[in-house]
Amino acid sequence: MLTNIVRGGQKVILRLEDILNKIFSSEQNILYYHGAMPNFFMWMLFLSGLLLFAYYTPTLEAAYQSVEYITKKLPYGDVIRGIHRYAADAMYLTVILHAIRVYFTDRYREYRIIAWYSGIALSIFMLVIGISGYILVWDQRSLTIVNKFAEFLAALPFIGETLSHGFINGDVISNYTMSMSFFLHTGTSFALLILLWVHYMRISRPVVNVTWAIGSLLAGMVLVVAGALPALSGEEANFNAMLPSIPLEQVDWFYLWLFPLIDTVGNYGAWAALILGLVVVTLLPNFVKSEDSEPASVNKDSCVGCRLCSIDCPYEAIYMAPRNDGSKYKELAVVINDRCAECGLCVGACNFDAIELPTYRSTEVMDDIRIALLQD
Amino acid sequence: MAEDVINAEETEDKKPKSKDEVRVAVIACERSVNLEGELNQTKLNGVDNCDVIQVPCSGMIQPRMIESAFKAGADGVIAMGCQIGDCHFREGNKFCRERLLGLRPPMIKKTVPKNRLQGYWMSEVQVEEFKARIEEFKIHVADELLNEAAEG
Repeated sequence: MLTNIVRGGQKVILRLEDILNKIFSSEQNILYYHGAMPNFFMWMLFLSGLLLFAYYTPTLEAAYQSVEYITKKLPYGDVIRGIHRYAADAMYLTVILHAIRVYFTDRYREYRIIAWYSGIALSIFMLVIGISGYILVWDQRSLTIVNKFAEFLAALPFIGETLSHGFINGDVISNYTMSMSFFLHTGTSFALLILLWVHYMRISRPVVNVTWAIGSLLAGMVLVVAGALPALSGEEANFNAMLPSIPLEQVDWFYLWLFPLIDTVGNYGAWAALILGLVVVTLLPNFVKSEDSEPASVNKDSCVGCRLCSIDCPYEAIYMAPRNDGSKYKELAVVINDRCAECGLCVGACNFDAIELPTYRSTEVMDDIRIALLQD
Repeated sequence: MAEDVINAEETEDKKPKSKDEVRVAVIACERSVNLEGELNQTKLNGVDNCDVIQVPCSGMIQPRMIESAFKAGADGVIAMGCQIGDCHFREGNKFCRERLLGLRPPMIKKTVPKNRLQGYWMSEVQVEEFKARIEEFKIHVADELLNEAAEG
C-alpha cells in the first residue's frame, strides 16, 4: 500500500518536473533546487536579521517600541521586517517541499540516513527559531505565546518544570525572559548552521545555491508579499489584558501551529501528537525493507590510483589510500562500505576494470550487450 | 586476428541501411524510462531491432560499453539516464552526459562514430516518448550511414 502511494507520488513529481523542464530548461527548473531554496531563504533571513539586530532592544519596556521604530521610522525598516517575516515562511514551505521530494523519490534512507535524521532536527530548530522570533515583537500575541508555551513545557513530566522555568528564565516574565527568547532566536540560528554542515555530510558537491534567475524570482516573490501584506505588530503586550489564545487570523501556520493545536487538544494532547509525529518521521526509513547491500569492490591488481572513482563518487564513499604493497602505483582506491549506494558511478569512471559492483560487473554488462546484439 | 575481425565488422557497418534494418542498442539507467513489461529479454516491444541493457545508473556506463555495442554490430547506440537535474544518485546522468560530450574522463575513443551515438535523458513516465524517439533515431542513423558511405 505504502509503496504504491510513494510510487504514485513519484510519478506526479516527475511529470511536474518534466513540464517545468520544457518551459524553463532543467538548468532553471525550480523543483531541482528543492534543497537549495531553503538555503537561499536562510541567507535572506540571516542578512535581514542582522539589520534588525542592530536596532532591536530585548527588554520588556523597549522591545515593542524598538520594533515599531524599525518598522515606522527607519528607512526601509518595514521592508527588512517584511523580508524577515515572509522569507521565514518561504523557508519552511520549501523545507516541506524538500522533505516531500526526497521522501517520494526514495532518497532519504540507507546511505542518506544522516541527512534524514539531521533534517528532522533542523526542522525542530526552525520551529524554535520561529516561535522565539514571534516573542521578540512583544505584542499581545507574543505574551500569549510565552504563557502558553511555558504551560506547555511545564506539562511534561519530570523535566517539564525545569524546562518551563528555563524558558521564562525566572519565576515570572521579566527582561530575562526577553534575553532568553533573543538567545533562543539567534543562538539556535547559529546552531542551525552547524547542523546544516551535518546535513551535507557524505554528500559530494551538494547543490546549495540556486541560480541567479531563480534567486531573483524567490527574492522578488518575498518582496511582493512583504509589500502586499506588511508585517505589523498587534497591540503592545499588556499583562492586564492577556489573551487566552492566539486569534486564528494571527496564527502563522508554518511556525505557530502548535498553539491552535494546544487550544484544541490540550497540553498533553499536543505533546502526544508531537512525540507521535516525531517517532513516525524518525521511523519512516524503517518502514521500507532494505535490500542486502553489496558495495562496490576494488581489484588491487588493476587499480592504478588515478583517483577518478573517488572524485566521481557522489557520497564520499571512496578515498585514496597510500599503498606500500610493492605496486608501482602510489595510491589505491578504498570503498567505505556503509556509505556505498551501489550506484556504479565509480564503475563508469574507471577505465581499468579496477572497481566493480559485485551484482553487475562491467564485463557482464558488455557480455549482455554482445549477446543481445549477436542473437539475431 | 581478433582486431581484424572487429575492423571487418566496422567496415561492414558503414554500408548504408534502410531505417528498418538499423540496429539500435540502448544502455539505460533502470530508473529512467520504466520498461517493466516493455522488454522481451533485451528486445524492446513495439520497436524493431532495438535492444535495451539496463544498468543501475547511467553514470555506470563506461565508454568501453559503448564501444563494445558498436563492435557487436549496433548501428546506433543510445546512453539513457534520467532527466538532467534529477538523478537518484545525484550526478550519474550529468557525468554520463559529460562523457558523451568528451568533457569528462574516461574519454570515448575517437574511432567511435559519434554521429550515431546519442544521450537521452528521460524520466520513468516517458515510455511512449522514448519509443517515438528511438524511431526518429533510426532514421537519423540511416542517414548517417548513407553520409558515411558517400564520404567513403
